[in-house]
Amino acid sequence: MRDNRIGYAFISPWLFGFLVFTAFPFIASIYLSFCRYDIISPPVWVGWANYEELLGNDPRFWKALWNTVSYACVALPLCIATAFALSLLLNLEVRGMSVYRTVFFLPYIIPTVATSVVFVWVLNPQIGLINGLLGKLGVHGPNWLNDTNWAMRSLILMSVWGVGGSVIIYLAGLKDIPISLYEAAVVDGAGAWQRTRHITFPMMTPVIFFNLIMGLIGAFQYFTQAFMMTNGGPEDSTLFYALYLFYRAWRYLDMGYASAMAWVLFVIVTVVTVIVFRTHSKWVHYGA
Amino acid sequence: MTENYLFRLSPRKRIVTQAILVVLAVPYVLPLVWMLSTSLKCDEQIFPREGSSISPVSLTNLLPHPVRWANYPDALKTVPFSVYLQNTLLLCALNVIAAVVSSAVVAYGFARIRFKGREPLFMLLLATMALPGQVTMIPNFALFMKLGWYGTFLPLIVPAFFGSPFFIFLMRQFFMSLPEELAEAARIEGAGEWDIFWRIVMPLSKPVLATCALFQFLGTWNDFFGPLLYLNDPSRYTLAYGLQEFMSSYGGKYAQLMAATTLFTLPIILLFFLAQKTFIQGIATTGTKG
Amino acid sequence: MIIVLLNLLLAATFVLVFALPGPRRRAYPRRVAVRFWHMWTGEWKDVVDRIAQRFNESQEKYELIALSVPGATADSKFLLAVAGGDPPDCMAQWNQVIPAWADKGVLVPLDTLMSTDEWKDFQATAYPVALKIGSYKGHLYGVTTGLNIWACYYRPDHLRAAGLDPDRFPADLDGLWAWGEKLTRTDAEGNLTRLGFLPAWYQMFVPVFGGSFYDEQTGAVAVEQTGAVTINTPANLRALTWLADKRAELGYKKVVRFISSLNTGGFSTEWPFISGQYSITVDGQWRVEQLAKYAPDLEYRTAPIPPPSGGKAHAGWSNGNFMIIPTGARQVAGAWEFIKFWSGLEQPERAAEFYTWGGWLPLSDKIAKAPEYRKYLAKFPQFKTFLDVLPSENIQVSPPVPYQVFLMDMISRADDFAMRGTKTPGQALEDLEREVAQEVAKRKRSGQ
Repeated sequence: MRDNRIGYAFISPWLFGFLVFTAFPFIASIYLSFCRYDIISPPVWVGWANYEELLGNDPRFWKALWNTVSYACVALPLCIATAFALSLLLNLEVRGMSVYRTVFFLPYIIPTVATSVVFVWVLNPQIGLINGLLGKLGVHGPNWLNDTNWAMRSLILMSVWGVGGSVIIYLAGLKDIPISLYEAAVVDGAGAWQRTRHITFPMMTPVIFFNLIMGLIGAFQYFTQAFMMTNGGPEDSTLFYALYLFYRAWRYLDMGYASAMAWVLFVIVTVVTVIVFRTHSKWVHYGA
Repeated sequence: MTENYLFRLSPRKRIVTQAILVVLAVPYVLPLVWMLSTSLKCDEQIFPREGSSISPVSLTNLLPHPVRWANYPDALKTVPFSVYLQNTLLLCALNVIAAVVSSAVVAYGFARIRFKGREPLFMLLLATMALPGQVTMIPNFALFMKLGWYGTFLPLIVPAFFGSPFFIFLMRQFFMSLPEELAEAARIEGAGEWDIFWRIVMPLSKPVLATCALFQFLGTWNDFFGPLLYLNDPSRYTLAYGLQEFMSSYGGKYAQLMAATTLFTLPIILLFFLAQKTFIQGIATTGTKG
Repeated sequence: MIIVLLNLLLAATFVLVFALPGPRRRAYPRRVAVRFWHMWTGEWKDVVDRIAQRFNESQEKYELIALSVPGATADSKFLLAVAGGDPPDCMAQWNQVIPAWADKGVLVPLDTLMSTDEWKDFQATAYPVALKIGSYKGHLYGVTTGLNIWACYYRPDHLRAAGLDPDRFPADLDGLWAWGEKLTRTDAEGNLTRLGFLPAWYQMFVPVFGGSFYDEQTGAVAVEQTGAVTINTPANLRALTWLADKRAELGYKKVVRFISSLNTGGFSTEWPFISGQYSITVDGQWRVEQLAKYAPDLEYRTAPIPPPSGGKAHAGWSNGNFMIIPTGARQVAGAWEFIKFWSGLEQPERAAEFYTWGGWLPLSDKIAKAPEYRKYLAKFPQFKTFLDVLPSENIQVSPPVPYQVFLMDMISRADDFAMRGTKTPGQALEDLEREVAQEVAKRKRSGQ
């Protein structure tokens, strides 16, 4: 049934919200990125100054970018591999499976604020759980969040701890694989490992692809844990892009500069997403 | 669901798998157990005093002894938990209703009504899901400042009334899967689109509405960035933000901090156990339809 | 099932919102409300509440409503409240925001609220530090209700056990370090169990070594015309090098580990000095009050930080709690009444008592000499150390520049890099200087 008026009437809430809270701010932030703006006084045009400063004179910008990118490059593959492996395990018929599924899923639904608090405590170098356990094994654990080399690794570990959501998605995907494929493979004499490699994995690539894209977008906006647990330290080792942007905007009240940072982020995320989409056809299979 | 004979294992393999699962499960469970255990400990058990050996983790130390239940009331006194709870529930209730209803309305438009520009607009909607929040964050903030909404709950409520792209996406899928016949019959009898939407489609959509309500509740319960940005009066803080402030102001009081965290987390865990299927179904659909 | 839960949620919300006690109701609903923000928590918040109550009882026109806006985000919240048109009527700040905020035009110059005579009297009697921190470009923007001075606290019991004489506190910094070495304890695995003396916090030691971050005369960090920044001076370098060397001797990682196991919040009732994990430590004068409340039987003494050779005596960094009034405040008069009440600009004898409640240092001699304050000193002789250091010329404050938050962040970073051994002190200071110069240039380019 074709009716423009009614159609637009129904979608008008979203349309209005889109214009006011997305489209207009999107354009406004371009304008702000060319201004000096501290929110107390009106914006003042400064031309390319923010971008020049950002790209030419700000080593912390590059450090933040580097931190975020290297986090994405390490955490994403690790999380995807772990989630995938877990989902394969959880797809088997073993007693108590629902208990295990709950166990792996729970960390995912617990609010990030809470998990941040818990992990700061768990990773306490002197009296925390991890170093205590390591001590029992005779290993002198590092200073975790207080150690320049280990802070980022701690955050990556935390991300792996929270893969429960992805596991559920993979499990659903596994159930969707037509059993006929496996039956045919068994007839052909394929063993379990070969079945996994040649059927399960290729059939799961769409789901993996989806998780990869969502993971990328999420990684570039990683903020809460860094803000709560390390404040970007020690020594800027966990200064994530979104965190540095937050400091520039709300701590130094340098909102024009922060807008420029936001735009650079947008360009980077778009480029990366496009690149990943381009590889889509090379490794993602649909159907048999 | 299909035959699982391929996934059935020999008894030996079953034991091995069990062992692997147990080993893997331990690191997933331990932090939460530690949180709970710390929340019931006395300071003496947490902080090594001068002269004592530093061995905070041992089988005897895993469990609190004596058990200090008083940590919980103490934590509630340090932080005005009931005020935060009220605020959080208020925000959750308003956001859930606003987001679910408005998203349903919009989703119906995209799903069941053919209008010019529908496909491009829907693509646009999908694209906004991938937009990094930082780009619109500052101008939105400036907008709310201009409106005089800084320090109030309004910036945390009003945007929910305009539909959430993710929910719209999910609901549209669902609506499209509903059979057309009922709607057709109603139209023939002269019912308007709104009636069809409200009286026929919505009642049939309980599963997807439930999923979205659950996700929105979780999102609002967990949100601390919104309060961080927009609230300054402590009597308006939410639980998530209150917990963050607790950690930054009283971070050394581990026992109370863990007690507060446990209280903050418990409702969510409870909710999970009560609504497990909805939870899992919701997350599963995001992946497979994506 | 979910619909049932949703209904439960709605019902619970209504019940909770309307039944449970909400935020505090007004005690004097008919009076004019004066909103006051502060950053104190815990037992200090109680002190503030008591002072607020006294104010409310002392007059009939205003009701002071005190709000604790804790910590890290209080500064930006304040600014945003001003920008949003709904600021508090006054705020107690201990971060040195006055230069930056006065520069932005968000503070009311308090000297305009005084009569000419009052202003002259204030300038003559208030301690130099109070004026240093509270003024900017010739106007007064903050009145202190308590200055903070840091000095050494030490435990004679630890000293005696280590064979040191508590009556002969070292006269120079290296002597103090030697004492610290004798007092430090480690366990069988090499982990620290007690710190004899941990020299830390660069900005505290810079004045002790005779250095400075800013030009005393002009208050500037960067030279106006050239933008040249002089942070990397010989004295500043000496200070950082000494601190870094001592940290290396203790072991960077060991110290980090040890400190992470302590309760080191500034206000916490669990002070490692009390629990015996510090033997000698540099801390603020408010600890005297804390010790009186939570460890009244603990034997302790205080002494100013001994200077190194070539350094300055009775030196250190200072800040204070300053009352400010934002532009756009609705109750400027009420706020000003409260400020006069608490700081002792009006009735110093009455206000002297408030200073003792928090263990704060007074605004001026008028308060220091008031009977209440004298009583307090008599009760706590250790407090005298701080009072002695207070009028010293060698006390420095945070540089009064508009980009102060950025500057102090950068100084902290340089401190951190040096304390972890990642950069040599020289490198850290060079980088610091360069970063600050860049920021100054950037501000100049965008017209600030």
